Amino acid sequence: MSEALVRTDPVSGLDFVSEGVRLSLAGPMARFSLRARQPEVLEQLLGFKLPRQIGAIQAGAACLGPDEWLLRAPAGTKLSLGSGLPVAITEVSERSVCLIVEGPRAAEVLAAGCPLDLDRFTAGRATRTVFETVEIVLLRTGDNRFEVEVWRSFAPWFRTALETAAGQLR
Amino acid sequence: MRRQPPQWRIEMLLIHCPYCDEARAEIEFAYAGEAHIVRPPDPSLMSDEEWQRYLFIRSNPRGRHHERWRHIHGCGRFFNAVRDTATDKFEATYKAGEPRR
Repeated sequence: MSEALVRTDPVSGLDFVSEGVRLSLAGPMARFSLRARQPEVLEQLLGFKLPRQIGAIQAGAACLGPDEWLLRAPAGTKLSLGSGLPVAITEVSERSVCLIVEGPRAAEVLAAGCPLDLDRFTAGRATRTVFETVEIVLLRTGDNRFEVEVWRSFAPWFRTALETAAGQLR
Repeated sequence: MRRQPPQWRIEMLLIHCPYCDEARAEIEFAYAGEAHIVRPPDPSLMSDEEWQRYLFIRSNPRGRHHERWRHIHGCGRFFNAVRDTATDKFEATYKAGEPRR
């Protein structure tokens, strides 16, 4: 049996640089899907406040729906799963990879396949949406910086699509 | 200088999600049939014909139609909408559980 586990990523870890935009792969992190009808129960268990407005990010947790949050934390973070409480905490760390799209033309590259109005999607917001037909979670962490959570198996296609879009900017 | 958005972005149908409180592209949503159809509390008391009517028979109007939609690639919630089936215009959207408009 192998002694060491080797981490492989579905896409290249090398940055892609084009005029006004840089694509890179974020390092490994822990991700949790949090569900609860009563956010107070989750907050008590986690020990911090969750954002209540859909689209807001607070303490690493993005509010995706009225009872759903995506918590992103440093790799290796463990959470109590709250058994017996009316909450659902699921570890989904390896479900997706995070691609970082940054630069003054980052929004233009994403607009090639994302139907969101990115002018109104201001820094500090997050939402689940689509890129072409692939579901993504888009987080705007700065005016010129987006983080895209995309499911592992879609990542190679998604990265190719972004590189193609970046190469065709005029 | 910003480029003109491609044509499909201009002509995109926007649907207002009552949970996100935002108009979002139709591609994020899934249609989920006619709204305000209440499941009978005790199906075993119904005749086959009544049960068939509940399962399969829909109003299918031309014009104002109450229907369920789901913001599946967004907040994930089901909500109700009033849409004109002839013009495809959304008159209103409202949260599930709210009275018929």
